Amino acid sequence: MTRTFVAKGMEIVQQDMQQILLRGKGDGSFADTVNKEISLLPPTDNLRMINNDEFLFAKQSFDQWSLVCLKPKPEKEIFRLVSAFNANEEILASDYSNTTYFEITGENKDHYLSKLTHFDLRTKKFPISTMAQTLIARIDCSIYHFQDKYLVTCHSSFEDYFKDRLQDAINL
Amino acid sequence: MLLINCPYCGERDQSEFTNGGEAHVARPKDPDQVNDREWSEYVFVRANPKGIYYERWVHTHGCKKWFNAIRDTSTDEILKIYKIGETPPLIKRFKNTLRSPSGEPDVGSGNFTVKKP
Amino acid sequence: MSEHKIYFKFDGKTYGGNEGDTIAAALLRNNVKLVGRSFKYHRPRGIYTCGIEEPNALVQIINEHNEPNVRATVKKIYEGMVVKSQNRWPSLKRDLGSINNILSPIFSAGFYYKTFMGPKGFWKNVYEPLIRRTAGLGKPPREFRSKSIHLHHNVDIVIVGGGFSGLLAAKKLAGTNYDVLLIEREDSLGGILKNTKKIELINDQNPSDWIEKTERLIQNSRNIKVLKNTLMTTYNFSDHLIAVEDKSVGKPQDNEKPELVLHKIRTKQTILANGHIERFISFRNNDLPGVMLAASFEKYIQKYGVVPEESPVIFTNNSSTFSLVKSLVDLGHKPKAYVDVRDQKKIEKETVELLNKYNIPLYAKSEIEGCEGKNEISKVSIRVKKNEIIKIKTSMLCVSGGFNPDIHLFTQSKGLLKWDETILAFKPEKTFQNTITLGSVSGNFSYEKLIGEINKKLDFFEGINDLEIKLNINGPKKFQIKELWETNHAKKSLWSKSFIDLQNDVTTKDLKQAVLEGFNRIEHLKRFTTNSMGTDQGKISSINALGIVSKILKKSVSEVGTTIYRPPYAPLSFSAIAGRSTYEFYDPERKTPVHPWHVKHNAVFEDVGQWKRPWYFKKHNNESMEQAVQRESKQVRESAGILDGSTLGKIEIKGKDALAFVNLIYTNSFTKMKPMTARYALMLGEDGMVKDDGIVCKINDQHFLTTTTTGGAANVLAHMEEYAQTEWPNMNVYMNSITEQFSTFNISGPKARTIMSRVFNNIDFSNESFPFMTFNNFDYLNTKVRILRASFTGEPGYEIYVSPKHALTLWERIFYYSKDLDLVPYGTETMHLLRAEKGYIIVGQDTDGTVTPIDLNLNWMIGKKKKDFIGKRSLTRSDIVRSDRKQLVGLVPLNKAYGIEEGQHVIEEKNLNTPIKKPVKMLGHVTSSYFSPTLNHSVAMALIKGGNRKIGSQLYVSTSDLNVIPVEVVKPNFIDPKNERLIS
Repeated sequence: MTRTFVAKGMEIVQQDMQQILLRGKGDGSFADTVNKEISLLPPTDNLRMINNDEFLFAKQSFDQWSLVCLKPKPEKEIFRLVSAFNANEEILASDYSNTTYFEITGENKDHYLSKLTHFDLRTKKFPISTMAQTLIARIDCSIYHFQDKYLVTCHSSFEDYFKDRLQDAINL
Repeated sequence: MLLINCPYCGERDQSEFTNGGEAHVARPKDPDQVNDREWSEYVFVRANPKGIYYERWVHTHGCKKWFNAIRDTSTDEILKIYKIGETPPLIKRFKNTLRSPSGEPDVGSGNFTVKKP
Repeated sequence: MSEHKIYFKFDGKTYGGNEGDTIAAALLRNNVKLVGRSFKYHRPRGIYTCGIEEPNALVQIINEHNEPNVRATVKKIYEGMVVKSQNRWPSLKRDLGSINNILSPIFSAGFYYKTFMGPKGFWKNVYEPLIRRTAGLGKPPREFRSKSIHLHHNVDIVIVGGGFSGLLAAKKLAGTNYDVLLIEREDSLGGILKNTKKIELINDQNPSDWIEKTERLIQNSRNIKVLKNTLMTTYNFSDHLIAVEDKSVGKPQDNEKPELVLHKIRTKQTILANGHIERFISFRNNDLPGVMLAASFEKYIQKYGVVPEESPVIFTNNSSTFSLVKSLVDLGHKPKAYVDVRDQKKIEKETVELLNKYNIPLYAKSEIEGCEGKNEISKVSIRVKKNEIIKIKTSMLCVSGGFNPDIHLFTQSKGLLKWDETILAFKPEKTFQNTITLGSVSGNFSYEKLIGEINKKLDFFEGINDLEIKLNINGPKKFQIKELWETNHAKKSLWSKSFIDLQNDVTTKDLKQAVLEGFNRIEHLKRFTTNSMGTDQGKISSINALGIVSKILKKSVSEVGTTIYRPPYAPLSFSAIAGRSTYEFYDPERKTPVHPWHVKHNAVFEDVGQWKRPWYFKKHNNESMEQAVQRESKQVRESAGILDGSTLGKIEIKGKDALAFVNLIYTNSFTKMKPMTARYALMLGEDGMVKDDGIVCKINDQHFLTTTTTGGAANVLAHMEEYAQTEWPNMNVYMNSITEQFSTFNISGPKARTIMSRVFNNIDFSNESFPFMTFNNFDYLNTKVRILRASFTGEPGYEIYVSPKHALTLWERIFYYSKDLDLVPYGTETMHLLRAEKGYIIVGQDTDGTVTPIDLNLNWMIGKKKKDFIGKRSLTRSDIVRSDRKQLVGLVPLNKAYGIEEGQHVIEEKNLNTPIKKPVKMLGHVTSSYFSPTLNHSVAMALIKGGNRKIGSQLYVSTSDLNVIPVEVVKPNFIDPKNERLIS
């Protein structure tokens, strides 16, 4: 169920997105395999992300990348991408589509999130086009600073809990 | 609450990390070739110094990567963080000239918050 | 002051106060001086201070949660507030507990330790309840649903204290690129500028105008955030600070909004500008209501517009009391006497002139010997010469024993202190973190030197300019003080006491006695006498205690040292600490995609880790758990059952070296295993103990899928990552948790195959084409499913892995296709029963971290030809190969009517003597036990010493009603021991 949370100067919209989690060396062969399928070269700096119209591609650490589809794709296409990546025996690609996504916008977004996380959201510490894995509302989340918004993802099993915490942070 | 500088994610709150005990305790290359005593020392015995300690941390609630740190166990000051596989830097003294927060003796923990005259 | 009166109740009587009044200010406004009874002796107590340091005026607020031990000097009144005094019965004025005061000679230091020693059992049954009834503070609060929240801040600079120094620091930093947080514990900025008459003009402006202008400048600067009503309580390592903000100042608690906000602050620099605390002097009956600290008295006049008494007596040992006299005479009042312990020549000329001008009697080189009165002061005794005492009638006595820099937070930050002889106080000497102290907390008691200090200490910040400021100071410019901690009693009686700790009723005599008894180390002395161990932490008195002790020991105060200051600075409500992590948010909850179906079908849930798993399904409201589990289990064995196994941990492992890696992680050997087959696998710790179990599916030598226990999922992945990253970084292997990417259903029972064939009608489920422990991927509708033939019940079974997006639909389809096949949904309890019947272990229930695969008779799972795997070497350690280790066996009661209890001891004795006179030899304990509906008797598993050799013998199991039941030791496999059903 997609839901929207609204508060003064902030809006949270739940999104239905798809994602592939990639592990690998990040060498030429890795970049080739990925580039062949999505026409994007994986970012080389930690926590950096790049994007085109279709994908948001972030480097999470030295051997881990997340590829988020900004436009919905047929499930079969995701399966195809996963097996195309996995055809390279030094890459592990897992379909991570079953993840919960929230898009947070508005000038008060930092204030609301500071009720839920210790993470330093100041632009000088968390610039646009970077991402982080951290604790939000006491669970593991990824947060992407994408243009003027944050994209926060968590495991789907926490969806109800996380939404209750978001609503609670707005109420209090 | 410590602030720990993950080599991959930058400075984060201690709540995101798990301490992994002493660093550089190598797993015997050929476990069958070591005797019971040597093996149990590898499994069970760790140093517990008051002062400089080489230890491991893992960024459990972040990138999940392991790394090494040098910490003064009596002040909790982390002087150096380095990646797995890097040569351990040699540290003899800490930046901070205080031996310990309360200037206490090497052994035991007298409570001296006052600088001795 | 506002005209609007606010009415509140104190001990049943209604009083009116002004807006902004604290309870104490409002009570003083109404001339109420007696506000409580003391902790031990039940002596009458009044308002001693005007702030957080208050030792006496603790009250209980009667509201939804009955908050106890509230400082009347801090908490603001609101309309309709109900306040009660504490530790008195039946009433404040007539308190029966005050008999303790008369018995006081026996309540000396260490009294409790020495007295209540015996006889045996008396402590628990007699002494403790008695003491608890008479001693203590407020009544415990009531449970309530707090809405307190935590708020996180990441800033560059924190300024603690919005007084004169804090404001100057903020002014300097305004407009810079630093993110600054200014924390002020009161409801307004200005501190001493507002509370005293010490500074007349700042840059030719009224101090209040200057404050207002500065505050506006700070607010417009955008880089400084100000938090008022916020108390900094904790200074942790790495400049991590914790402050608590009171959100219900001057208003009743709103149950829908947070009453407290806990600010967790991470900063690069901390500027401590948190000022000083006045200390008292010990003299006879220095606890009587009417005795008040001089600066507090002045604060009531200046900040609250309350004059507690128009002509008090002032007693001082320093130059600061000038401004109190000034505050009084400016209002046309006149102190009755000014008692200064210093020589006439040493008293500042400004003070002497002021006193002369208004004809106020000055008693130089004199001291207060003591005071008299019943429930408040009626007269004070001034010792003017060694043996000459003058008595003066008064209802209030203002005392100043000097000032302590408020070093609490500084020492929390692990900074070092130094004793300063000129101010007779400890001040910061060496910082340990990125700390800067400004103003009186740094020991600088001179306003003229303040701006220079601030300019110098903040010089290194980028983009700031030197401030210049012109001050017109009232009275003495230099702080001067003479050492005086206590005065001598002239009068001795049971009633006469000279207190060093007002809250804990510790007298100066107690200190001396403790030193005499050998407690000459300050930390020991503190604990023995309970000095400064109250909720006020001896803020106005602990340094005095050091002074007195140093005199007895003939050491300098510096040598005696201080006790350690620990967080919090002042008591902190648990509701603030807990924040939102209570009740519904106590622990994050995880739900499977099928959760709504479970709820609809009356599932009762069990917490497994953070997961909500169906424990059992209630068929009807009256069905008990036992009935449900028996019904579910029977139905699985007779037809079929389905379990939502989506919570099982799932890990995908891939890479060139995946096979080698999996071989090292698990005990089993996977080398010869064929692709698309699966194996039950064990994971050990390096100590050889079973860590987790699961099923390993091999896609090919480079690609594996493994499952873990529900609770162990995160740990297992972490364990694999640890070895991959730290021990074998050169291996090419990666793993992803795919727990959340697949929902898992386990269908098992004699009819499982029929159900599967109906749901997936294009798949051949015959034993030949789909044998036990094989798996495959199939297209199903618009998605893919993976089906694994495996079973945790001993019946033929299948595990279906499907994308969670399709999980609920598939789950419902399975039921749709099995309408006539009697398929039962079952929960974790039935799962446990079914696997126990088969003798399958649950890691964490039948093992506890001290159990090896050998102890479990799972030797067949150990890849003996493998050169190495984690824990292998430990399996040959001498202690592990002992034959008398505890081993897993099955137990069956000889009398089939008896049930075996989980957790009970397995013993050899036929009878247990009650009471047990000699130790009973324990062989081990029952790890799992269930009543099997299929076998119609109890079956149990137990870990017992040398269990393997005891198969076939008879032992006994204790019961919770101290009986024993005879059992037979068997192999732990109660149903289909040859696995004929399983693999058919």
